[in-house]
Amino acid sequence: MDMNKETEVRDDFFIYEVFSQRSVSSSFVHQFSLLAPNKEVALAMARENFLRRETCFNIWVVKRDDIYGLSPEERPFLERLDNKSYRETRGYGDLQARWRHHREQYEEKQKHAESGS
Amino acid sequence: MQTQMERSDLTENEKMEAFLAKIDRGGKIEADDWMPDDYRNQLIKLISMHGISEIMGALPEKEWVPKAPTLRRKLAIMAKVQDEMGHGQLLLRVAEDLLAPLGKTREDLMNDLFAKRLKFHNVFHMEAPTWADAGVIGWLVDGAAIITQSMSLDTSYAPYARALHRICAEEKFHAQHGESIVLELAEGTEEQRQMLQEAITRWWPSLLMFFGPPENGTITSNQSANMRYKIRTQTNEELRQVFLKKYLPRIFHLGFTVPDETIHFDEEKDQWVYQQPDWEQFKQIVKGNGPRSAHRLNLRETSYEETKWVRDAIMSYGRHVG
Amino acid sequence: MGDFSQVETTEAAKQNPEYAQALTDLLFQLADDDFILAYRGSEWLGLAPHIEEDVAFSSMSQDMMGHAVMFYEMLEQLGVGKADDLAQLREADAFRNAILVERKNGEGDYNTDPHYDWAYAIVRSYVYGLYKQVRLESLLQSSYTPLALVSRKMMTEHRYHLMHWQVWLTQLANSTDEARKRLEAAIEKVWKDAGELYQLGANADAIVRCGLIAGEGELKQKWLTLTQGIFEKAGLVWAGEPGVPEQRGRHGQHTPELAQALATLSEVYRIDPAAGW
Repeated sequence: MDMNKETEVRDDFFIYEVFSQRSVSSSFVHQFSLLAPNKEVALAMARENFLRRETCFNIWVVKRDDIYGLSPEERPFLERLDNKSYRETRGYGDLQARWRHHREQYEEKQKHAESGS
Repeated sequence: MQTQMERSDLTENEKMEAFLAKIDRGGKIEADDWMPDDYRNQLIKLISMHGISEIMGALPEKEWVPKAPTLRRKLAIMAKVQDEMGHGQLLLRVAEDLLAPLGKTREDLMNDLFAKRLKFHNVFHMEAPTWADAGVIGWLVDGAAIITQSMSLDTSYAPYARALHRICAEEKFHAQHGESIVLELAEGTEEQRQMLQEAITRWWPSLLMFFGPPENGTITSNQSANMRYKIRTQTNEELRQVFLKKYLPRIFHLGFTVPDETIHFDEEKDQWVYQQPDWEQFKQIVKGNGPRSAHRLNLRETSYEETKWVRDAIMSYGRHVG
Repeated sequence: MGDFSQVETTEAAKQNPEYAQALTDLLFQLADDDFILAYRGSEWLGLAPHIEEDVAFSSMSQDMMGHAVMFYEMLEQLGVGKADDLAQLREADAFRNAILVERKNGEGDYNTDPHYDWAYAIVRSYVYGLYKQVRLESLLQSSYTPLALVSRKMMTEHRYHLMHWQVWLTQLANSTDEARKRLEAAIEKVWKDAGELYQLGANADAIVRCGLIAGEGELKQKWLTLTQGIFEKAGLVWAGEPGVPEQRGRHGQHTPELAQALATLSEVYRIDPAAGW
């Protein structure tokens, strides 16, 4: 290799993350990352590199540098206590049975009324 | 318990212990997680080799893209080769993110490749002189790659796993494309069958060597480390046996042979017994001394140098003041 | 456009020999243009300036080859011949592509020692692409309904290609001096051939009279306006009306480069066209 090449300007492409929307009612989903010198090239590359076999309604490219996220140390803090059934349907599993009980009671009462007291 | 490993006041030893414990319980490692140097280095070696192999792997088939014998085949092989370069792109990205903390970039990888410091799979150094070779590559080489990749899907390194999932989804089509070409030839004229037999004979040693040397009683240090870190979970020989069990019967069913008169299935050991290929030759080939190594590296290097003006141009676009 | 009423089906087209001939002549131009340029595109595999672009560029070659296949299949339905045979067994003098698309990508063989010109790849693809846009728009009103329908399908894919070339043209024209220089040299080269694009060949009168497509003058004007707008927007100097090559591709006069390309792409098929491949 030509030694002079070592001192030349290094390739200065940025890392872009690619997001896409499958259909108008879908959320944007992360696909993968690519190298590009600027956002126009990144967008021009996105579909053929990651969405060749998928229908695609819309695409975003975002420089990785512009994404703010959690460090490895912080990621475990996302875990939650499993004590929140008050805001999930499983915390209200008794409702159906109770409605059924009331309906049955009522129907019983109606039957007695019809057959004479 | 989960937070212990990430605290910065831990010693290297404690970090290593926690890391190994995480690996052992099937935990996954991300690009920005702490990792021991040799884990990083093993991954860089393995994934760059995998990525560069995909990119170089496009070249033996490149000859056949314009020459594919029907319009449908032309389209299919164009799509396959495109996928391969796409896979190379995914894997290089994974390798690049591992290299970034070491101050290395894609350009460094390219320079390593051209200086023959980067190895790539033996199969892509070999001749592909006929259309039947294009078929055999799709059928048996991709078939071998699928086996290796499927094994790696539960690798401990999460970015590699994510890339492999994307790759495996597309590989199915590659195998079918290869099978389709091969079956057409096998069911065709005498001339076509002969072309195919010659291709199978030609590719046989390379296919055996694709999975790397067997242990010979002692596992080589690479395999051992990769398995300790759950980067991979099966040995070279285990993978080769999977390949032989799947494909040898099919080769024989079509009425073709492989250039090994001793080959037979040992019922007791439940494995194929075969003549070892020349492993010295394998070492030479992956170092870049295969029959087509120089030519293909040269093709890549020349085009890379001659398109430098393009990369310089698009890098400077939009960065000028005003 | 033309006095012909709408021809809805292949059967209807076959009933009028003059119409069928005009349609066949036009279809060969459409098919051969896309087929040969897609072939040139496929020679670039592995050689593009960066990996992501190699992947993207390959999609465009595939799409274009897919369009060619649609046109060859229409010819097959008209009874002209098997699509694979039409694409691979005709001699060079039966081809009706413009010379522009058969020009080589640069020096050297695609697999041996290529020294290809990326600036030429961009300009040729884009200039041809802009003409294809004009042509497809005109075909939307073709008297031959299947052709109008197929053109509508192609247009969305094709517009995406134009977006891609637009990015390249703009960036190469507005970055380094070297890129600008090379781009201008490529434009000069393309300009020697581009004037043939909107020609409709020996049977032009019948093609237009049958209402298959607009006349050469109209196609030319639309292409000039469109292309000039694009060039000026990219900050390039408008070179005016392009010239025509010495050979007349639309009349079956081609360069040795086409013969070489055809020999390569048909090499395997010709081993035995009757066999299954």
